[in-house]
Amino acid sequence: MSAFRDQTAIVGIGYTPFSKSSGVTTLTLALRAIAAALEDAGLSAKDVDGLATFRVGDSVLPMVVAQSLGIRDLRFHLDQFGGGSVSHAMVGQAALALHAGVAETIVVYRALNARSGFRMGGTGRPLVDAVETQYQAPYGYFTPPQQFAMAARAHMDRYGTKPEHLGQIAVQQRAFARDNERAMMRAPMTMSDYLAARYVVEPFRLFDCCLETDGAVALVLTRAERARDLRQTPVLIRGAAWGGGQTLYSNEIEDTNRTAAADMAPRLYAMAGVGPSDFDLAELYDCFTYSVLVQLEDYGFCKKGEGGPFVASGATARGGAMPVNTHGGFLSEGYVHGLNHVAEAVSQLRHTAGARQVPDAELALSTAQPGYVAGSTAAIVLRRDAA
Amino acid sequence: MIDELPEPMPDLDSLPFWEGLKANELRLQKCSACGALRWPARAICNRCSAFEAEWIACREDARIASWIRTHQVFAPAYRDRVPYVVVQVVLEAQADIRLIGGWQADRDPVYREAVVPRYSKRPSGTVVLDWAPREP
Ligand SMILES: [Zn+2]
Repeated sequence: MSAFRDQTAIVGIGYTPFSKSSGVTTLTLALRAIAAALEDAGLSAKDVDGLATFRVGDSVLPMVVAQSLGIRDLRFHLDQFGGGSVSHAMVGQAALALHAGVAETIVVYRALNARSGFRMGGTGRPLVDAVETQYQAPYGYFTPPQQFAMAARAHMDRYGTKPEHLGQIAVQQRAFARDNERAMMRAPMTMSDYLAARYVVEPFRLFDCCLETDGAVALVLTRAERARDLRQTPVLIRGAAWGGGQTLYSNEIEDTNRTAAADMAPRLYAMAGVGPSDFDLAELYDCFTYSVLVQLEDYGFCKKGEGGPFVASGATARGGAMPVNTHGGFLSEGYVHGLNHVAEAVSQLRHTAGARQVPDAELALSTAQPGYVAGSTAAIVLRRDAA
Repeated sequence: MIDELPEPMPDLDSLPFWEGLKANELRLQKCSACGALRWPARAICNRCSAFEAEWIACREDARIASWIRTHQVFAPAYRDRVPYVVVQVVLEAQADIRLIGGWQADRDPVYREAVVPRYSKRPSGTVVLDWAPREP
């Protein structure tokens, strides 16, 4: 059995409101989310001895956060370049540091003004320092919706995936968002609404694409035995895994419809001692509808190529066998680069998700971007503490 | 006034590729040790870890792996150019080499169809790599 399994826990979650224009700095957003997460955990800034964040040159330095919190001796710090492909790696890395005894209380946070400030792909500036960029930008190909649409089209041509399959993902997640007071998009949405929306990048229509959000999310982590003395039902980190190595265009990849998550998932499951049929819910990285579809295949919830019929079966919808993105995801709740997915999984496993609660949720999967664009991925398995 | 299209920004690894386009050649690195083609251009072979390579004029034919049509304006240069098609092709010379390029035809690309390169010279003098159907 993995020595890491169930040894660390998420004990606090905190949010700022999600908006199109926060009117404040990313430092202020980070501090507000961190304060909310510490309050949720029943801890104070004095307890924090570790900080971890990830950025694409769009957010505040963690040392500025440390100064603001009055932390004089930061025992663990992590400031990683990256976006959605490293979001869940932050949680895993903080858990490793806690498990190793490097620090006692680590806050993982992400703060961004991704609508009013630095827009992903909307600035003309490449998001990642990929060597491929120079071969793509001259053709007007430089944004995430283009990169994911390219893979989605291949999936449609190879496997018969239909626009309505992608639409199912958008519609199902919106149905959850209707019961989420944080969600930026709560109006009802039908398949007709989905199909009638304008194209952004064919085959993606408007509602295939995530929102652009100003906001922040923070998570407080500590070791499991200490977690049991704190305010909330601990949510244990049962497994964490890292994957990737190849970007979409490096010449190792002959199949753009099979992501790095497909190689990673088996070792994540082995570490956690679980299989895909054990999960009560999954919060999957949904920068676009297609990224959910391909992850359902690569994490083993259905066979390769069958993601479309799988979502159409209702398995991932409210009341389905394994609901996906119970907060509405990036498509309807907001885009906080994956940490809002972790925070939602924590709420579900605490059984505090209100009207959108998945009954008796005990085990959840949450994932980072599955390896497109930057070439890296990560995921975690979370479990409600049975003690 | 129409904004200039994004220009290639070659680095020391890729410069021969872009120079090749000016000569209407698809120049790629071929590993001197194992013969594998390298893409993107770089110092080492991802199969055998040999550094040595030579630049060759590669077999040019390819197939459509995927394509997209961009409707949203992501940069000012495309304000009057949307919607436009971008293709991803796989080289017949080596199935794990996929290139992004423009599309030159009056119809949409078709999955797996055979295509040939079009070396497109811009007013700036830059040559970029577009693709067109391989007519019978
Ligand atoms: Zn070689």
